[in-house]
Amino acid sequence: MVSLPENMTPPLSCDNLGGVFGPDPTQYAMTSVLGQCCDDAGQVYLAVYLPTNTPIALKKFNMDKAKDEMDNIQNEIILTRQLRHPNVVVINAAFVLDNYICVVSPLMAFGSCRDLLNRHFTEGLPELAIAFILKDVLLALDYIHKKGYIHRAVRASHILINEYGQAVLSGLRYACRLVKNGRWQRNVHSFPSSTSRNLNWLSPELLEQNMQGYNEKSDMYSLGVTACELANGMAPFQDHPPTLMLTEKVRGFAPVLLDFTTCPQYSDTGQQNSNPNQAHGMPSDAINSGVGDSVGSNGNSLEGGGLASRRFTDHFHRFSELCLQRDPEHRPSAAQLLLHSFFKLPKRMNAPPLPQLLHPVIPLTKVVLGTESSEDFFGVADRLSDLDLNTCEWDF
Amino acid sequence: MGSERAEEPIHIVYSDEENVLDEEERNSRLFEDLEPASWINDEDTDVTTFFHRVDSDQIIYEAKKKRCKMIGKYVMGDLLGEGSYGKVKEVLDSETLCRKAVKILKKRKLRRIPNGEQNVQREIVLLKKLQHPNVIGLLDVLVNDEKEKMYLVMEFCVGGLQDMLESTPKKRFPLWQAHGYFCQLMDGLQYLHSQRIIHKDIKPGNLLLTLSGILKISDLGVAEALDFFAEDDTCYTGQGSPAFQPPEIANGHEKFLGFKVDIWSSGVTLYNITTGLYPFEGDNIFRLFENIGKGEYVIPDEIENPLRDLLHGMLQKDANDRFTLQQIRQHPWFLRKPPQTLEEVPIPPLRGDELHNMTVLPYLMDYHYVEDPASGQPQYYTEHERNAWAERGEQDTYPTECYPREWADQLGDLKSKESSPKKFQDDVGYGNSNKYHGDDEMETIADSTKRKTKRRPTSCISVKKFPPCKQS
Repeated sequence: MVSLPENMTPPLSCDNLGGVFGPDPTQYAMTSVLGQCCDDAGQVYLAVYLPTNTPIALKKFNMDKAKDEMDNIQNEIILTRQLRHPNVVVINAAFVLDNYICVVSPLMAFGSCRDLLNRHFTEGLPELAIAFILKDVLLALDYIHKKGYIHRAVRASHILINEYGQAVLSGLRYACRLVKNGRWQRNVHSFPSSTSRNLNWLSPELLEQNMQGYNEKSDMYSLGVTACELANGMAPFQDHPPTLMLTEKVRGFAPVLLDFTTCPQYSDTGQQNSNPNQAHGMPSDAINSGVGDSVGSNGNSLEGGGLASRRFTDHFHRFSELCLQRDPEHRPSAAQLLLHSFFKLPKRMNAPPLPQLLHPVIPLTKVVLGTESSEDFFGVADRLSDLDLNTCEWDF
Repeated sequence: MGSERAEEPIHIVYSDEENVLDEEERNSRLFEDLEPASWINDEDTDVTTFFHRVDSDQIIYEAKKKRCKMIGKYVMGDLLGEGSYGKVKEVLDSETLCRKAVKILKKRKLRRIPNGEQNVQREIVLLKKLQHPNVIGLLDVLVNDEKEKMYLVMEFCVGGLQDMLESTPKKRFPLWQAHGYFCQLMDGLQYLHSQRIIHKDIKPGNLLLTLSGILKISDLGVAEALDFFAEDDTCYTGQGSPAFQPPEIANGHEKFLGFKVDIWSSGVTLYNITTGLYPFEGDNIFRLFENIGKGEYVIPDEIENPLRDLLHGMLQKDANDRFTLQQIRQHPWFLRKPPQTLEEVPIPPLRGDELHNMTVLPYLMDYHYVEDPASGQPQYYTEHERNAWAERGEQDTYPTECYPREWADQLGDLKSKESSPKKFQDDVGYGNSNKYHGDDEMETIADSTKRKTKRRPTSCISVKKFPPCKQS
């Protein structure tokens, strides 16, 4: 574990990490694959910008494979370039190489939150780490909403963490504009295209596609689902067919944070097999009669294990419940949620900075990569590619 | 519309919409076993022995169950409308959860319409290559040879301009609203013409709106694609709606300029949506064509000048004098949006539902939450109650189609019966229809006790057999 030097402070914005990046493809040396994104149409590489010897992340979209996504990718680049916020992803350069679109972004040393969950925290991240992450995401959402956009794809794989422990929101290719013809709309109605993979995170009102429409409060619901994802290790509705997920949301069943307060039967027997997602809002005898069986257990290792001893604070529970309310009018805005007591926890509990909370995850920093000499760098990169990184979702 | 109702008389329970006969068929079969009513004239016959009086609260309906049915990966919903070629129903893509509409075409029915099959083939070929925000998108085509049916999956629209006009007392839009639609119509039309396509049937009924309020030109059933090597836009056939036809077609010209046909129809459409009137009318098609042929019409006084001039330009009797698309786009009325003074005409509710909720949801609710479809308590209601609902203005709104109530019921059910949500069984693979005897359309009901008996549908009146009549 390489800990941060005491006096090292995060830069104001992550785009000043490596200075200026040019659009010349020959100046980038790709070393290893970090992950996939965009339904295999895109790949994320670890690369070096040769003029400054800076490690960066380079995302390559195959234009032949990503035909349907081309508009989204184009919009993402245009929109991201217009935004400037420490918690919103940065695009340093974008260019076309053969039949690929290449997008250069700063290297996010801890990868995406989905990576962290998949590789190290299968039962969920520590609560204090989640508080740090969600606060940064809220800052990003507040900024994006005030710019008149709805993100529409808030999920763990779209939250990246840099070496200083700052969370950065990505996945802007699904965003849509709330301002139309110069007028701020109360609601919009467009259904995001090629959004199949994000469906589980989307709000009931967006999925309903009726005349009511939806607005930026839809993102707050997605944030609630993401909170559950970060806490539980697996995404809510993961095993549901999309149509069942839809009816569940329309009927107002919201996912919950899984601990022994939301699933009391675990503390008694520890061998119940019903789906904890169903527990909320159901009479407890219904649970004991094995109601959730047909929904299927998700094979999460939490069952009967860590869940019995785990307890999230009431602050966190209340925070997720606020976000996951069925009526969008009742959900607080991003600015209001930033004042929630959940975000005062780290300070009150004297929490160490996020990188330490994520111990023993080793970030992909310059020090680790040893970029002082480029030979070493490629050596490490080779070793990196030996690791099982291909399965990770680095979707930004 | 009339053939597909949410309820059936209690004696006849048919769940399969295949068995619903066409209106004519139903009427013809309904009376086939009745003798001609010559006996009514018999002096000594008391009519009441033949016609039993039935009080409206003695006719009992059973609420139709919302059985989930799939076509490929699409879950079927309720009827959205009915055209000459067949029904249009709402569907939900079970993978992307995106609302869509499906046009169901029966070959049996198409054969009876002149050029029916040809028109459909042409529409498919045309729509497939078109892509523009203001032209309806064809997303998928499914064919069931066994049932001789074709399914055209299209973008979902909540309503059309015609329904909106009819829902208002004056049958017209405020100018600013009409302007918005007209501009979109011109955008779509310009695209179609750029693709060498003449729509030939522009009218409010063929202009639909999405949830976001985007206008979609639909129904390219009679559209014509110009030959790639054609010198100009000369056409020889016109099949559009009579009231929107230009003088050259009304006068029976052998050939005419295609693009100008669409300009004329768009002019009639603009006239119609801004005044609530038609420039040409007639008791029958001959009178109508006579009037159109003369090309004389009046624009109501309330229509002021930039618009008046535009209408005159678009409704020129001589196609050569008629405005071109470019002239329209440069016209002062087109360029300047009228002030938003009057209130917007909204899209009217569908069967009482102002929000236009997904009609697929109740079917999904039934599929996922009702434990055993056969054991569910049947719901009954009487003709009397039905009439009462109708009187209260809940036209076509019967309990089975009221979402909130149904959900409440479902929720109550769930709690009381402790039933659990059902998952799609893995073997009921979406779109994997090959397993099902190559049948593209299947009912995804969990239990296999599905009734396939072909029963003759009858109206509630004919259920009551007339015993004296039978004997005679």
